Amino acid sequence: MKKQLLIISSTVLLGLQCATPIFANDFPEKPINIVVPWPAGGAYDLAARLIAEHASDTFSVPLVVQNVTGAAGSTGVRHVANANADGYTIGVMGTHAIAQSYMNPNATSLDELTPLVFIGPEPAALAVSSETNIEDIATYLDTLKDTPGNIINGNDSPGGFSYIAASMLENQFDVELTKIPYQGYAPTVSALLSGEVMSALLPIPLLADQHAAGQLRLLGVAAQERHPFAPDVPTFKEQGYDFIAEDFFMLYLPEEVPEERREKLADMFYALLQDTSFQDAASKIGLVIQPKPFDETERYLEQRSDEVYDILATSGLVDGSLTR
Amino acid sequence: MLIESFITTLISTLLSPWGLSLAALGALLGIILGALPGVSSTMALAILLPLSFSMDAHLAILFLLCVFVASVYGGSISAILINIPGTPGAIVTQLDGHPMAKAGKAREALTYALIASTVGGAFGLGLLVITAPLLANVAMSFRSPEFAAVAVFGLVLLAYASPGTTVRGLLVGAIGLICGMVGFDTLTDVPRFTFDTSALQGGIELVPLCVGLFGLGEVLKHLHASNQTAPAISMAATQRTRLKVRTLIKSWKSMLRGSLIGAFVGAIPAAGSAIAVAIAYAQEVRFSKHPEQFGQGAIEGVVAPEAANSSSIGGTLIPMMTLGVPGDAITAVLMGSLLIHGLRPGPMLFSENPEFVSSIYAGFLIALLLTLIIGILLMRWLPLILRIPSHILLIGIALLCVVGAYAIRNSMADVYIMLFFGALGYLLHLLSLPSAPLAFGLILGPLLEENLRRSLILGRGSWDIFLHSPIAMGLFALSAFAIALPLLAPLWVRLKSDIQRFKTPF
Repeated sequence: MKKQLLIISSTVLLGLQCATPIFANDFPEKPINIVVPWPAGGAYDLAARLIAEHASDTFSVPLVVQNVTGAAGSTGVRHVANANADGYTIGVMGTHAIAQSYMNPNATSLDELTPLVFIGPEPAALAVSSETNIEDIATYLDTLKDTPGNIINGNDSPGGFSYIAASMLENQFDVELTKIPYQGYAPTVSALLSGEVMSALLPIPLLADQHAAGQLRLLGVAAQERHPFAPDVPTFKEQGYDFIAEDFFMLYLPEEVPEERREKLADMFYALLQDTSFQDAASKIGLVIQPKPFDETERYLEQRSDEVYDILATSGLVDGSLTR
Repeated sequence: MLIESFITTLISTLLSPWGLSLAALGALLGIILGALPGVSSTMALAILLPLSFSMDAHLAILFLLCVFVASVYGGSISAILINIPGTPGAIVTQLDGHPMAKAGKAREALTYALIASTVGGAFGLGLLVITAPLLANVAMSFRSPEFAAVAVFGLVLLAYASPGTTVRGLLVGAIGLICGMVGFDTLTDVPRFTFDTSALQGGIELVPLCVGLFGLGEVLKHLHASNQTAPAISMAATQRTRLKVRTLIKSWKSMLRGSLIGAFVGAIPAAGSAIAVAIAYAQEVRFSKHPEQFGQGAIEGVVAPEAANSSSIGGTLIPMMTLGVPGDAITAVLMGSLLIHGLRPGPMLFSENPEFVSSIYAGFLIALLLTLIIGILLMRWLPLILRIPSHILLIGIALLCVVGAYAIRNSMADVYIMLFFGALGYLLHLLSLPSAPLAFGLILGPLLEENLRRSLILGRGSWDIFLHSPIAMGLFALSAFAIALPLLAPLWVRLKSDIQRFKTPF
């Protein structure tokens, strides 16, 4: 009898414990995990750690950055999608998650994720090795028009942002590059500096110093505006070409997080991203912060995923089981 | 000018109690974290990185350098005492370090490792200071064909590094090469050998493999021999402080060779300390007069890889500081912390912020000294690990294996991979095959495959691209020479005896 009572009471207690967070209004009440799908030290990691560092002003709880890496970023995305939908697990993603969702049948579908807040774009610039004689975009495109595949471009393996950016350039200007894959941005920059490849489309903070030192040439910024790290480099638009290639940083949740919590998180992160001390710190490391509230973020993701799908479909990279 | 500011920074840090205690804390944490199996230097840095955000930039880099340098030595502690590499860079230290510990010379092995570590580190630092811009240029001229050639050379040398016959080593090494292919293909992102599971898409990481092979496999081996108690090492033997200074001095050549290899391999982007120590060990065996002593507790087998391990720190900092290109995951984390503080390593750092460059040098030197001091102070307590009853130690090791495998990427898949390689390590032991070449194959396989295939794409399908690279051709020639040497040696002996016979009348 006593034993039974113990079992019943403990079951009730346990049940209560599980139930409390759902009824409680004081969300969040324990540390929130931010899952970064890439190793520590990269741009995604820096952005997440900067957010975590500045969180004490707007958040009552600490934010903990967790690197869950592997399989071209899809391991981290799956980790978030499979986490408890209680709002305590948040992910950071970019173009890679969209690309993987169409290329890899084992990757998480975008439908299983809820976009939260758009952090900012990461614009790319077209860089050429200083060993080439190419001085401007016109020469670059002419070289390609004369002999298709003449320019050796360094990029990610298919599905990485710099590969997609290179494909976008090919589609936009109807040219053909010889695309050589590297494992990440740092080896691509090395290859560009050593002259193994002739050009690359990469995020600007990685190229700005080498451009200033004359080790490589930036031909144009593929964004709406010039980048503060390389103010002397004009955009493609300024030079008469309509070309934009941006990666992006975005926070997202697993699906089915209670709406109340999702809204609260979205509001808190949006406020944090607009904080001036955060924005100052971000601009020091070359991050462009242009936060978007929840509904705009959702629209942006849909639009981007259509764009990326088209590029992958053109290059024949969409997996047979994932065609639209 | 650089030397002047170097000395000023050095003195001001040594005189500030806050800076010094912070550095000591970093070194202490580094040794402990490095010694924990599964906690690599990268992970130790990543765990402690958030602590440095609120510090001054030069204090932050001092703290992180102390953690880095100390964790490199820390990795060899567990390699020597319990035969599990604390960090990937310590994978070969255990091959001879642990036999020494088993023979009751744990303290000696630890001291040799610590001194070699300090010497190697100082060598790496010296090289970093003197030749940073020069060496970086050499490493930058390494393109894909040269990397492919380096991998070939490494594989050839490693065939000799395995104890037992070369064929057995090659056999296990080939399994390692195949393991390196699991996961997303590096060039096309096509999943290979994943059996359509998401667990294997991430590939097989070096750390879970090593933890399983050398950690769990060892536990299983002990269970197998459970009627024999784990080798009891009397404290008396480990406490003896009398160091054979002469032996240590005699191994200066090995230290120097290890330091040279470490610094140079470290300076090549993406090569890393695991490759440096593997090559350092291989060439020690290759050029030793007593190759049969290796694996039985040869001092050279501890000293050379430890020196290489520490001197690769200075090497990896070269491309990071002069070019803004991180050489490996560890420097990528270091670079991340510099960026958080608004300092951008790269070609502009030397001209725009020379004081900061010298404060990195000073921090490095302080880190080396503190690791030496704290290492010596802690040494009395380190062998205590061996006093833990073997059943508790084995449970503890198995637990650390699981936690370490999980912690490196927060993924259960790595735990399963670790368990698999634990079983495989035990199987290899039963078949009396060496297990270390498996890890070497895993390191060098992807390096070779990626760069060979990329070279061929760059050469538009033609192998001519290798003919155009003098460095690659030189490395290939060295590889061919290394293969031919054991074949030629008996021929030479026979030739000599033939000549002798020819000369002596019948």
